[in-house]
Amino acid sequence: MLFYSFYKTLVGKEITVELKNDLSITGLLQSVDQFLNIKLKDIKINEEQKYPYMLSVRNCFIRGSVVRYVHLPAEDVDVETLQDHSRLEAREQKKMQQMQQQQQQQSSK
Amino acid sequence: MSFGSAGLGDEVDKKLIVVLRDGRKYIGIMRTYDQFANIILQDTIERAYCGEYYSDKSLGVFFIRGDNVVILGEIDTEKESLEKKLIKVSWDEIQRMLQIEKQKREEEEQLKKRVMAESGLTFDSILNLDDF
Amino acid sequence: MSDKKEEGTVEEPLDLIRLSLDERIFVKMRQDRELKGKLHAYDQHLNMILSDVEETIKVVEKDEETDEEIVKSIKRNIKMLFIRGDGVILINF
Repeated sequence: MLFYSFYKTLVGKEITVELKNDLSITGLLQSVDQFLNIKLKDIKINEEQKYPYMLSVRNCFIRGSVVRYVHLPAEDVDVETLQDHSRLEAREQKKMQQMQQQQQQQSSK
Repeated sequence: MSFGSAGLGDEVDKKLIVVLRDGRKYIGIMRTYDQFANIILQDTIERAYCGEYYSDKSLGVFFIRGDNVVILGEIDTEKESLEKKLIKVSWDEIQRMLQIEKQKREEEEQLKKRVMAESGLTFDSILNLDDF
Repeated sequence: MSDKKEEGTVEEPLDLIRLSLDERIFVKMRQDRELKGKLHAYDQHLNMILSDVEETIKVVEKDEETDEEIVKSIKRNIKMLFIRGDGVILINF
């Protein structure tokens, strides 16, 4: 959920989404969901002539699983908070695992 | 809260271009969707592109499984007029062009693969996204 | 006491990544890509955010003098980058 929450803080900002097939799309982040699917507004395509099918598209939905990188606006990223949240989430993840293990042990008894 | 599929609600009943992982492009009216980004497209055409040429084939109603979707793009009528610069050819013709292009790309990849292997490097194809 | 243990020791692979927060790491990616950058965030899928990233891509190009195909490295710099975890092969500290 860390990155989902993070992306929500970037709504309205300009990002560049680089896909695994090398297509790069720059646009304003409109919305994001827990799969990190992304919706962009007012898009621009790098190397437009290579992707004629994107010419008539202004807004688009990008499936999270085809994303390679997202270039972020550095000035809008608070790295301190990110690091804290990463540690917090790691800790919560461990707690969840321990709880699940305990439950499994109990149910197998 | 938009649960899954980043809220495709705005796109319902709009004309979309759907790009699939194998590179195919479908254009149609999206009638409904779910949290997996499965969608129903009506009055669908498949559009094939090659350089400055394109061709269409009418296909009717489609269910598209969300996993295969790369991009859903809303067709903007204002921007669509830009696309008119492309030249329409017959379906058979565009398939011939694509076949030639594909062969060329495959040859380039083969060469790349060989040179990379000689330098002790691996090579991942980007011809389609089927690996992901 | 238990908190100290949590912060300092490595019990599972992801712990080592936690300890590398705010440090520069090397990431090898699919499609012959390599990244160097400072780690600021990660999750259990190995999605990450790196800053001051240098990406190296290997491409095959014709050498202009010998006319032979050779492998070249292309570098680019990115200020702040999100990396999707499914493309990660390995991380080096």
